[in-house]
Parts: sequence; structure tokens; C-alpha cells
Amino acid sequence: MIIGAGPSGIQAAIHAARRKVSTVIVGKPTNSAMYDADIVNYFGIAEPVKGSVLLKAGLEQAKASGAELVEENVISAERKGKTFLVSTEGGKEYTAKAVIVATGISRVKLGIPGEKELVGKGVSYCSVCDCSFYKGKTVAVIGDETEAALSAELMSKYASHVYWITEKPKAVKALVERAKLAGVVMKSSPPAEIRGDDKVTALVLKDGTELPLDGVFIELGAKSAADLVMDMDLMPEIDDTIKVDERYATKVPGLFACGDVIGKPWQVARAVGQGCMAGLSAADFLKGVK
Amino acid sequence: MVTELNESNFDEFVENNKKALIDCWAPWCGPCVRLAPVIEEISTEGHDFAVAKLNTDQNQAIAVRFNINAIPTMLVFKDGNLVKTLVGIRPKDDIVAAVNGA
Repeated sequence: MIIGAGPSGIQAAIHAARRKVSTVIVGKPTNSAMYDADIVNYFGIAEPVKGSVLLKAGLEQAKASGAELVEENVISAERKGKTFLVSTEGGKEYTAKAVIVATGISRVKLGIPGEKELVGKGVSYCSVCDCSFYKGKTVAVIGDETEAALSAELMSKYASHVYWITEKPKAVKALVERAKLAGVVMKSSPPAEIRGDDKVTALVLKDGTELPLDGVFIELGAKSAADLVMDMDLMPEIDDTIKVDERYATKVPGLFACGDVIGKPWQVARAVGQGCMAGLSAADFLKGVK
Repeated sequence: MVTELNESNFDEFVENNKKALIDCWAPWCGPCVRLAPVIEEISTEGHDFAVAKLNTDQNQAIAVRFNINAIPTMLVFKDGNLVKTLVGIRPKDDIVAAVNGA
């Protein structure tokens, strides 16, 4: 089971599948940092190539090698004895004997005025952590993906009013519907500014709407790799990267990691090389080869 | 040693230590759980400040008193007064430097 459909995860899938181990990639290639980039410094690429083109070709290659692609975000991954139980946003569950974490690094911050200044004063990046501080208050959740949908639903259990600011929700429909059923009010204009001096007082949207509120939860991506691996009994590093050995194995047997999630430099060439190694190591692990 | 604080010993702890670092956390908060061993380590290094932790879920009145609405938050007290608030997980050296510089 490979979590993440970027260059590292796809290369890992190609190598693992060619070793004839049952291989599933879970993730959305559109979430890869490479998707919108022009690739200019990768081996064999003389002219700039769109990342999306390489990802699409890589995925076709992985499928041809025997890998399966599930284009959904992972919402939880748990270690159960010697296996891992991986659940997706669409409600699919997989039991895997080995997991490769290749989720990359997702953008966390919005970069709008007021955000940096008001962290801890109403701006939060973790609704699970901070939901209980907003009982009976008005909050906004910002983000298009799974975590934003889950966060909006969670906040509706604590706050009295919840806005979900999403230009175009990318989470699966069921999650969006669940948030709506919970009473969450959706706004499609992007966020422009967070207002407040000592405390957040309002969120201003690009269309000029000003929403008076007490808290802004910024939940931009899918579940973070740091949170995922903790549920698989692995403590990430303090900078949220994952530590691996020369075989790209973590301390947890059967759990591997590769790509941007294990550290810098964030380069496609490095991610691909590591994916190759992690894919081979995971296949060896499954076949009982040391 | 990391002293465990609650509503009955919080004020006493802050008053009895010239300088103190207090890690405010809750068990369901992933970043808090990741920060815990770092705080533990700082407490064993012999710095000239006291180190404590406060469960914000069990001690909500203190959380409200210090306007805590995101965790982990680290509070730095000097001579009984709150002098610095650090929000979010960060490396050990940054925390120690922030407390020493307070």
C-alpha cells in the first residue's frame, strides 16, 4: 500500500509491482507539488515538461506494471498487529502488510494578511487540537480537501456557527454532504484577510463579504504524514519529517517512507530515486528477504 | 522533571519559580504528543528555569485565563508574570533560546 500519488509514490509502485507484490497507490496526483510545476532539471528531459504530464505517464506505467490506483485521500491508517488498516475518504478499507508513506509536503499556510499575526489568537491549523476552545462561538474553516470537510463537520459539534470557505470542494461528495447536513454554511469566495488585533474578529473574503467570527481554521490538504504515521506507532521528527534508514524503512516493521516527506531537498529526481529504493525494500520485506 | 500542573497548584508553581516554562497540551492533539518528549528532555538538561505541563482539557479555567485557544502553547513566566507565549510545535533549541531570552 503506497500512500501518495506523486513521483516518489508512483516510482515505488512501479518497482514494487514489477517484483510481483500486490500494489495499491492511494492518493490524488493533482495534490502532488509536481502537478502544476514545469520540470526542467530531471534526467532525460531536455525541454520543460509539465509535471501533470509526467505524473499521468508514470501512473499509466505503474498500472501497466500491475499496480492499482485509488484516487482518494487517506483519512486514517492504523497499525493492527503485523498489518496496517488504511481507510480512504470514500469509505474504502484496505489491510496491508507493508505501507510506504510518500505523501510529500503539503502547503499549510494561506499567506493572507492577518494570518501570521493572529496564530494562537484565533487562527489555528489543527481543528482536532483546538475545537474545544470554540464552544458556542462562530468559526470559519478554510480549505478544499478532505481535512477541511472533516474539520467543518467536527467544528459544527462545538461552535454555534461554522462557515466553510471553499472555492471548489475536492473532498468526496459524501463528506461535503455530511458537513452540509451538520449545518455548515459554505462560501465560495476565497479568503482575503483575517482581521483582529489581540483576537480574530472577522474574516474578509475576496468578494468583499466580511464575516464576523472568533476563529479561523486553516486546513488546506489531506491528513498530514506526521499524523498518519503516529497512528501507525511511529513518532515523526519534531519538524514533522519521517526518519528512515538506508533501505527507506522506518523503525516500525513494514512501514517505509520516501520523497519530500523524509526531508529536503524537495527535488523530483531525489523523490524518484528514493521511491525506487522504498518500492524494492517493501517488496523484499513482503517476500521475507532481508 | 516535568511538574504536572492543575488549578490547585498552578499559581503556587508560577510564584515559587523565578522562571518557568509551561507546556499546555491535550491528549488528542497530535502535535502536543510530538512535543512532549522534547519538553521532557529540556527538563532534564539542568537549565535555570522550571518546566511544567498543563492539561488544558482538565484545566479549562486556566486556559481561559491566559487566552489559550490553540495547542500546543508554551507559556513562559518570569517573577510570577507571563512574559512570552509560544504557539505551536518547534525544535528544542528554539524553545530553550526563547525561555533564556525572556
